[in-house]
Amino acid sequence: MKSSFLRAAVAIGSAITLGAGLAACTGSSNESAGGATSSNKDTATVALRTPNWILPISAPGFTQGENAIFGQALYRSLYSYRLDGTAEYNIDSRRSMAEAPVVSNGGKTLTITLKDNKWSDGQPVTTKDIQFWYDLVTANKDKWASYRKGGFPDNIADWTVKDDKTFSLTTTKAYNTAWFVDNQLNRITPVPQHAWDKDNQASKPEGAKKVFDTLTTAAKDTKTYDSNPLWQVNSGPWKLAKYVPNGEVTLAAQSTYSGEDKAKLAKIVLRPFTGDDAEFNVLRAGDLDYGYVPAANVSQKSYLESKGYKVSPWYGWSITYLQLNYNNPKTGTLFKQPYLRQAMQMLIDQPTINKAIWSDTAAPTCGPVPQKPGVTDASGCVYKFDPAAAKQLLETHGWKVTPDGQTTCTTPAQCGTGVTAGQPLTFTVTSQTGFAATTKMFAEIKSQMAKLGITLNIKEVPDSVAVTPACKPADATCSWDMSFFGSQGSWYYPAFASGERLFATDAPVNLGSYSNPEADKLIEATQFSADDKALTAYNDFLAKDLPVLWMPNPVYQVSSYRSGLQGVEPQDPMNYMYFQDWSWK
Amino acid sequence: MTVVEEEHPTVPLWRQGLRVFAENRLALVGAGMFVLLAALSFLGPLFYHTDQVHTDLTAVNLPAGSPGHPLGTDGVGYDQLGRLMLGGQTSIIVGLAAGVLATAVGTIWGAVAGFAGGWVDSAMMRVVDAMMSIPALFLFMLLAAIVTPSVPMLIFIIGAFAWLGPARLVRGEALSLRSREYVQAMRAMGGTGGRAVRSHIVPNAIGTVIVNATFQIADAILYVAYLSFLGLGVPPPAANWGGMLSDGLADTYSGHWWLLYPPGIAIILIVLAFNFIGDGLRDAFEVRLRRR
Repeated sequence: MKSSFLRAAVAIGSAITLGAGLAACTGSSNESAGGATSSNKDTATVALRTPNWILPISAPGFTQGENAIFGQALYRSLYSYRLDGTAEYNIDSRRSMAEAPVVSNGGKTLTITLKDNKWSDGQPVTTKDIQFWYDLVTANKDKWASYRKGGFPDNIADWTVKDDKTFSLTTTKAYNTAWFVDNQLNRITPVPQHAWDKDNQASKPEGAKKVFDTLTTAAKDTKTYDSNPLWQVNSGPWKLAKYVPNGEVTLAAQSTYSGEDKAKLAKIVLRPFTGDDAEFNVLRAGDLDYGYVPAANVSQKSYLESKGYKVSPWYGWSITYLQLNYNNPKTGTLFKQPYLRQAMQMLIDQPTINKAIWSDTAAPTCGPVPQKPGVTDASGCVYKFDPAAAKQLLETHGWKVTPDGQTTCTTPAQCGTGVTAGQPLTFTVTSQTGFAATTKMFAEIKSQMAKLGITLNIKEVPDSVAVTPACKPADATCSWDMSFFGSQGSWYYPAFASGERLFATDAPVNLGSYSNPEADKLIEATQFSADDKALTAYNDFLAKDLPVLWMPNPVYQVSSYRSGLQGVEPQDPMNYMYFQDWSWK
Repeated sequence: MTVVEEEHPTVPLWRQGLRVFAENRLALVGAGMFVLLAALSFLGPLFYHTDQVHTDLTAVNLPAGSPGHPLGTDGVGYDQLGRLMLGGQTSIIVGLAAGVLATAVGTIWGAVAGFAGGWVDSAMMRVVDAMMSIPALFLFMLLAAIVTPSVPMLIFIIGAFAWLGPARLVRGEALSLRSREYVQAMRAMGGTGGRAVRSHIVPNAIGTVIVNATFQIADAILYVAYLSFLGLGVPPPAANWGGMLSDGLADTYSGHWWLLYPPGIAIILIVLAFNFIGDGLRDAFEVRLRRR
């Protein structure tokens, strides 16, 4: 009998670990949350996924938000932006490394003068560092995530360095200056030529390729981030003090920082979590100075406030969508049928999903241009939730709709080009792990689709962007159907919300390979016309054409930070975090 | 004087075993708990009809005791009692099938290794040792992350690595059994090794095998719960208790206790049930405890 009790004890222990132990967590957090005022007045601990890209030149597969935040902390961009409508071209002068550009030559030439800035080793930031960046991206366009054919630097007719402080660029066409400043110049980040290219190799294309390869190899070696001398010359307000791959990252204030926005705290600790629940447990326990409240726990706002936290939604200048793979050899032909995209869109009940699952923290996405923060009304969407209309669309296009069964094409001539008789509507959605609300949202969408015999198989992976790359046409190995990476918003725009990187043919982030000549024309028009009508026309066309399925756009996060932590607000809608503004009251 | 041999009523072995099993109260409690949980999972849906396919966002997180929802609803409007029944089916089916699969594979492997001996035994058991050196949960997670989880896949994944324990146990039994006279006699009369394993080794180790099988089933149910808890279980609308527990975790602080405790308690009860049953079976197969 002794062994029986032993096994029983083990069994109970195991099961309790899964179940009742959770209650213990609840209890203990109540006790420790009393320490909600930080004792480390010069440090703030922040919940953030571990960044895995340090080179301030973006690389495909490494464009996640945490990498942008990390990059900005160490290497300032030539221009920073603010969307409060108060600044010329939205340029945030305080954070930018250059004065606003002077426009001449009918809008084609922009002359830029650098401010007095220094690298952390005391060397001045000069046009050599800008030229070095330009040489690197020009010679390595195919490896630069921000590159788009015809975009920067293809659209530069002349690049001239006038002196240590001034350079000018002349574009091939007269662009809409606001677009060019907001969406093209935002990519320029001075990089330390004196430290990264001591032999001045990058002035020649082959040398630039060699230097770039060296830098990207070093950037992929995350375990050496805090020891590699390459990364110890910075222009940002922070330096990297400690880096644990897939673990904590510590930023320390850069004592030699030359910008206006000097860091007020001594240290920032970035702490990653495997999922919402783990993060929220720690937040409740009072072990985070800045974290987030998962959608399912927004009701805990008053509890957190009673423990000395502020709770504030972080609205993004963003849209959220379900990417469709038009180049999938099996299902791509289906996605190319506009009526099918419309039918599927009409099965996504954005307002109800927002209310029941996102706890009213999401806004409907109706088109490619973001809605204003806080808007929850979907009345402006072209396709409203309407299962009856969706059913009718399918039936009038040759499909036999079998509710809770398998809808199949019975009249291929009506179903559309490339669709065969008997072809089912079965798709796999590659979604994200770690977001409870996302899991629930897809349970709801799967259920609605099933009512019309459309089968969705949901597969959750840690990094859905990485496993759903853009495919070439007729690539037999291209197996993904739909991809979702919008648990915190799918795409954060730069200041100007045009779609040349998302929905233009061959755009770098056009993962589904959507292509429509009319859309290309309208996107291009936004780049040349200063008239808001161009942006409206582009939005209206794509809202209707559905390059993707529009989904509820969650806030980036519902932030929760200690009430004594100042400078957090306003939270940047372009998804940057300026830790240097933070201080303790 | 004639010696009259005392007459004993001939009681079949299975009845003797059943009597010993019945004397173990915890084993009876375990059997009762299993019957109740199995009835709830498999017969319950015949009497308590719920829609476990379609979500209902107009009725999310209704508290226990709401009209029509004795255990409330979850975050997408599924009736929680109905979901508990559906989840029980998956948990019990996967647990039983994986446990049986692991026991069958382990028994054959161990019996062959133990009976053959020599280099065959060494080679086969080194395979077992090597696989045992890898943490099982890590392997399950790795495999479950690579393949799309489904009920057959979960059975295969868990069964594929849970057979190592039974293999070791049965191999020990086989080492002892192969030197018994009746095995030697069969071999002397020309019986093959396969026949020896099939007719003598495995049948004589059956007590150990069955007792271990109950623990394997309990462990398999826990592994299903672990995997589902980590988000690697069968995707919705399918359900299992571990997955329900994981879903409920997100609502821990919202006071939605009905999402957390029912699946947690169900896991505890079924694992306990199989452990108690296993203990009772061990007693039943223990010859010394049988009345002569």
